[in-house]
Amino acid sequence: MANSVCVLGAGSTKYGKLNQSIIEIALNAAKGAIDSAGITPKQIGAGYISNVFGVADKQVHMAPVLMSNLGIPEVPGLTIESACGSGSVMFREAYANVKAGFYDCVLALGVEKVTHTGTTQSTTLFSYCSDFFYEGGNGASFPGLFASIARAYMTKYKATEEDLAAVAVKNHENGLLNPKAHIRKRITIDDVMNSPIVASPLKIYDCCPFSDGASAVILCSEEFAKKSGRPYVKVIGSGRGASPAAVQGREDITTIPSTIAAANQAYSMAGVKPKDIDFAEVHDCFTIAEIIDVEDLGFFKKGTGAQGAKEGTTRRDGQIPINPSGGLKSKGHPIGATGVGQVVEVYEQFTGLAGDRTVKDAEIALTHNFGATGASAAVHIFQKV
Amino acid sequence: MQDGDINTHDKFIQAALKGKILANKCRNCGKIMLETVYYCPACSKSDFDLVEFNGEGAVVTHTIQAVAPEGFEDVDSYAWVVFQVEDAPIRASGFLPGVKVPSDLPIGSKVKVTGYDKKHGLSLQKVT
Repeated sequence: MANSVCVLGAGSTKYGKLNQSIIEIALNAAKGAIDSAGITPKQIGAGYISNVFGVADKQVHMAPVLMSNLGIPEVPGLTIESACGSGSVMFREAYANVKAGFYDCVLALGVEKVTHTGTTQSTTLFSYCSDFFYEGGNGASFPGLFASIARAYMTKYKATEEDLAAVAVKNHENGLLNPKAHIRKRITIDDVMNSPIVASPLKIYDCCPFSDGASAVILCSEEFAKKSGRPYVKVIGSGRGASPAAVQGREDITTIPSTIAAANQAYSMAGVKPKDIDFAEVHDCFTIAEIIDVEDLGFFKKGTGAQGAKEGTTRRDGQIPINPSGGLKSKGHPIGATGVGQVVEVYEQFTGLAGDRTVKDAEIALTHNFGATGASAAVHIFQKV
Repeated sequence: MQDGDINTHDKFIQAALKGKILANKCRNCGKIMLETVYYCPACSKSDFDLVEFNGEGAVVTHTIQAVAPEGFEDVDSYAWVVFQVEDAPIRASGFLPGVKVPSDLPIGSKVKVTGYDKKHGLSLQKVT
């Protein structure tokens, strides 16, 4: 059993509309991670791949294809799907296998390619991630499901559409400093408020984009990491949670139980509390999601999450910086890759690679990523070495 | 439910066509659940009765879909509605055409099931 599990290397493609095949996109991220770890593919014991809509680019059973393309066809691979939370759920499985001692070193890679399908088909594909017969099949798209959550939250806590908009403005400001972000554009509250409605009360700037992209990390035992002589980051907490699959099946629509469960496990394992976290990458697929996330993760009391972006405490230089990468909102949301991309951001922040978006004096960071409307979630906590 | 090849979704649809919501009631503890279920989340027993409830209730939340998923592009303007079933401690969701702005459907408004549309799912109507 490994004492500590570490992130030794990380790589990411740009997120956005990419022309390469899904396999090429994945390989570019894999190469970045392998090269930054200073290892050869032959040192990888297993490959963990997260992906949701490979079928849209005519490729499922992706893990063995990628292992073959990396020159290691003998290395076992596993492809994992957990909707938009696939990356973090897969990361957890990769982490657990290194922790258990099955492997000294593994590749954890997430990839997605959907933009070529167009908005209508992408919207439809995503709606299959809901409890389809009981909700998606009645006309709810994912923006629609989160819009219904937003309306419930705004009704209960008297939050406003401008409160939601402040999250988008803040994350776009961070994304401007991220060269790999999908949408690098400064926006104002008015831009958000005047943007076209997707599913009321959510407007286009309340929604993350459909993105292509891949992110990868090398996970290994600390002994392996030390021998490499390369910079690394320690994983000190890991948690998983689940919620009723359908929004209508939850007693309180304004909270996501899977986030709370996953966070409690991760905090307990790491021996830290929310106040000890120096920054967090959270699942802001829609602006309302970030507001609920920061409450469920314990950074804000229930009903006060909107204050973060509005008052500046969640800005990069605030008390608890949220999504310094730009988040899903600006960096983009290639859904199989997103959870791994958050870990890439932590690695870059803690190894001096984050440039102008570096969070000053950060030593402990948290990543939070969920699938669908929070039916599945994973939270991880990292420490700078 | 475990009735061989009988599709529970089809049973739900048959109930909806009569304006009803079909749910599972645990024979052991009485818990009522909307979705297909094989074990009770409260007591873990696996015997259920299918029970039809009156398909009326109050709107808990909703959205008006401006960008519709496939199969719904033909509808001018509709709401996806979560409602609290009046006679049972469960919520259901459905498709309510003709809603253009949020003020058309304040939270707490009464809605009722009018049927099940092959393309659009559980169909609702506002009760005025």
